[in-house]
Amino acid sequence: MTEASISRRWRRRTDLLARWVVRAGGMAIIASVLGIFVFILIEVAPLFRRARAASAPEVPVPPTFLLAGVDETEELAFGISAPGRVEFIPLTEREAPAATELPGFSGRTPTCVFRPLREEEIDVGTADGRLVTASVRFRVGFGEATEDWRSSRTITPETSEPTVLQLDPQEKPLQAVARQSDSRGLVAAAITEDKRLVYLCVLEKKTLMGGVKRTEHRADLTGELPAAPTALTIDGSLENIYVGTAAGHVVHFDIRDLDAPRKVGFDTVRAAGSTPVTAMALLIGDQSLVVGEESGALSVWFQVDDAASSTGKALRRIREFPSHPAAVTAIAPSARDKGFATGDRAGRVRVHHSTSGRTLLSLEGDGSAVTQLVMTPRATGLLALHESGRISRWRIDNPHPEITLQTLFGKVWYEGYNEPAYSWQSGGGTDDFEPKFSLTPLIFGTLKGTVYALLIAVPIAILAAIYTAQFMHPDLRNLIKPTIEVMAALPSVVLGFLAGLWLAPAMERYMPAVLLMLIGIPASTLLALGAWLLLPSRLRGRSRGRLEIVLLMPVLVLAGAACFALGGPLERALFGGDFQQWWYETTGLTYDQRNAVVVGIAMGFAVIPIIFTISEDALSNVPRHLVSGSLALGATRWQTAVRVVLPTASPGIFSAIMIGFGRVVGETMIVLMATGNTPIMEWNLFNGFRTLSANIAVEIPEAPHGGTLYRILFLGALLLFAATFLVNTAAEMVRMRMRARYARL
Amino acid sequence: MVKIKMPKVQEALAVTPALPPERAAPSPAEGVPPSDFVIRIRNLNLWYDGTPALHDVTLDLPRCKVTAFIGPSGCGKSTLLRCLNRLNDLIDGVRMSGSIHVSGQDIYDPFVDVTELRKRVGMVFQKSNPFPKSIFENVAYGPRIHGVRNRSDLDAIVQKSLERAGLWNEAKDRLNRNALELSGGQQQRLCIARALAVDPEILLMDEPCSALDPVSTAHIEELFFDLKTRYTIVLVTHNMQQAARASDRTAFLLQGRLVEVGSTRDMFTNPRKSETQDYITGRFG
Ligand SMILES: Nc1ncnc2c1ncn2[C@@H]1O[C@H](COP(=O)(O)OP(=O)(O)O)[C@@H](O)[C@H]1O
Ligand SMILES: [Mg+2]
Repeated sequence: MTEASISRRWRRRTDLLARWVVRAGGMAIIASVLGIFVFILIEVAPLFRRARAASAPEVPVPPTFLLAGVDETEELAFGISAPGRVEFIPLTEREAPAATELPGFSGRTPTCVFRPLREEEIDVGTADGRLVTASVRFRVGFGEATEDWRSSRTITPETSEPTVLQLDPQEKPLQAVARQSDSRGLVAAAITEDKRLVYLCVLEKKTLMGGVKRTEHRADLTGELPAAPTALTIDGSLENIYVGTAAGHVVHFDIRDLDAPRKVGFDTVRAAGSTPVTAMALLIGDQSLVVGEESGALSVWFQVDDAASSTGKALRRIREFPSHPAAVTAIAPSARDKGFATGDRAGRVRVHHSTSGRTLLSLEGDGSAVTQLVMTPRATGLLALHESGRISRWRIDNPHPEITLQTLFGKVWYEGYNEPAYSWQSGGGTDDFEPKFSLTPLIFGTLKGTVYALLIAVPIAILAAIYTAQFMHPDLRNLIKPTIEVMAALPSVVLGFLAGLWLAPAMERYMPAVLLMLIGIPASTLLALGAWLLLPSRLRGRSRGRLEIVLLMPVLVLAGAACFALGGPLERALFGGDFQQWWYETTGLTYDQRNAVVVGIAMGFAVIPIIFTISEDALSNVPRHLVSGSLALGATRWQTAVRVVLPTASPGIFSAIMIGFGRVVGETMIVLMATGNTPIMEWNLFNGFRTLSANIAVEIPEAPHGGTLYRILFLGALLLFAATFLVNTAAEMVRMRMRARYARL
Repeated sequence: MVKIKMPKVQEALAVTPALPPERAAPSPAEGVPPSDFVIRIRNLNLWYDGTPALHDVTLDLPRCKVTAFIGPSGCGKSTLLRCLNRLNDLIDGVRMSGSIHVSGQDIYDPFVDVTELRKRVGMVFQKSNPFPKSIFENVAYGPRIHGVRNRSDLDAIVQKSLERAGLWNEAKDRLNRNALELSGGQQQRLCIARALAVDPEILLMDEPCSALDPVSTAHIEELFFDLKTRYTIVLVTHNMQQAARASDRTAFLLQGRLVEVGSTRDMFTNPRKSETQDYITGRFG
């Protein structure tokens, strides 16, 4: 074998190896980008999965049983049966604990139950107008250790000594009761068999002597009602009682003066015709009232501002759900979120969510009317007691009920709002809070930041690039270009820090001076240019840009100083001495210290280097012979720059802007530190915003793995990913076309 | 049609009696009155960053004639040409002395408007350099720069210029197509049309055919005969045959010095200097 053939083989091998390494590297990059994309998609997808329900075997109940609740482990349902016994019904293969007698009943028949959300007490109305309140608690213990911890777990119910109140002085059977209490005392109301509405308030005050002073206030509110009462509920903060009537009214009583309920007003559920209200319940947080009707119609109501009302608020029907085919007979709110379940006279059960306004599930019971409906404490199960005396059961898998495209991107009418709005407010610390997951303010914030940053960066970067590539002396250019490129290496956290902690307060103090500089600096540059042109050409010499720049520097510094000096007097003369105040009074817009201008400048600063570098490259890559061709025709350098160089380099400049855009869209640290991260939607120059990227950084600590917020943050990431991917692809395609074009020049 | 290949330069030229030797410049050759020298170069020296590129060049170029600059590569032909429209201004580190007058005006006078000068002294480059625009926009570029806005005026100028550059028939149906779609020879003629569109007096051509195939070359050489009725043409070429065929007068440069200038016929049949003789006969260069 000759040396030549060995070396040829060796070359072939290295060539092959190199080709495979390069190919593998390229593939790995594509695969990892795709992998990230798929991973994000997998995290986001469950948000949009439909709710699912699996039905569990029905369980029979004793006669006259009234369903009251389920324990935390979802193993025991409990309720009241005549004559005054708490019964436990096992939902799994376990023995039922013995029923407990409630002493206060003494042979009376229970007629209705009420259970405030997330409380251990159950309230039972009796046939002689009493309210019996007892707490039912479950103690979980573990027996001897076995393989299966579930079977060794013991659940022991503990029932407290009940308190008994004579709610109806006339001792008529109670049809419906409601009770709430807080540190001040207790409020209860009931509808009696003869269609009266009775009210009782028991206040307890500690006396100085250490005793308790008890006062009772009673009222018969029947006279205030436009028609016979059919359903009622009281809110947990002891402020409102809502009563439904047989003629389709929802009547609102203000009970903030606990001893004297006051009717605020009423509304009819239907504009025309009347259909009795058959069921009512407050959702968690006690703001949203769900109203079910005889016709099967279902609506959610809450109070909004109303100047005409005596309390300043009025109850409004906010949204409608698809009607049940039969009368709504039971409503069970979820203890976890703004979801609720409804049952109807034909035995159907549905699951809804108030915020999204969506009916998530429609389930068939055993065909007989639903009399009572209970959601398990973790909202993962549903129990419906039917007239037939059986409980139908479902397990519910519904982790993200509030998420729809509408709640993510559209306007939603949230509790306490006067109108539908775009809002982002991920949590208030409690389950009572209605989370607001609109991405629209964040997308808006991202666009606002991007627009302001590019508005500042693009003109500066491109004009600088034109000047550097076409007019600057090569010596200077060789100095300036690397310097600006080094600027790109400045960590954005440093820029954000400077912007938030130095620039923002400085701008707040010297705003008029900053505004003045917008005019002053270009004007002084033009003046300096005019003066330069007036100089005799002999003095100007042939410096070709070096001397001019050196002479311009002191002019710019002086102009800046002059603007600062004039800022104060200007503020006194034009803005009454306080720009922020003036701005607020003139435009009605607020001035935040960390605002869009600050971010625009800081983020502009961050992307100027990259836009400058790419544009400058594009401009100086325009072949010299095109420039010479234009100059040889008698064009000035400016004409050449504008008419030949700029159009030829425009795809490159476009792609520079696109890459800058991609950078700004994803920029996090600067917006995080230099805006207030307030998710508001205003183009106002002087207030903050929150971007998708900053949102992820802000919310991460609040987002438990797998939760709704966690997945929405991933959705935000997906949007960012898609945006930068599209923009960069567009930029790359333009660049490729440009390369093809240059190849022909 | 001009012959494309010529076996011998001397053969191609009509043999004429040698004229008596004269001083190179000023030389009222072929009965050209001195007032008809549109370009007068006097004692021109030029340095690139201190390296001399032209040395004491004194030369006159007659109106409405084709003058060829010949000489070996690197002898300063392009440099001399660029002095005539001050395109050397763009190059850093150029220093020069001496004077150049175009139509009686000192073009290096500080008060000269360079753009006006370049409008009068058009230039066609070695490598065709159409702008990446349409054919129409390429030709209309110069007039637009100099303030012609009216569309019908522009149309007329574009048509006339393309006609003079011999491109009208090929281009008239595709005026709005990108100029880069033209062939190399067509692109060079487009550049000539573009230069003609600003109505110059003088046309500088720096090896305009060196990148072209023989047919395109012949096409452009043919143009010279038409163009020199209106324009003073300065043609740089290192192609002896081309200089012999297309020019009226020839200047021979060597290492930045003007060796000899005279009527093309004299130069090729009866060079006065031995360097010229050596170069023409292909002994070096
Ligand atoms: N831009 C320039 N910078 C420095 N030296 C140059 C430049 N252009 C030409 N030269 C030098 O000047 C001499 C003449 O060049 P040029 O006029 O282009 O020759 P020609 O056109 O006859 O081939 C050469 O030695 C060349 O290296
Ligand atoms: Mg040359």
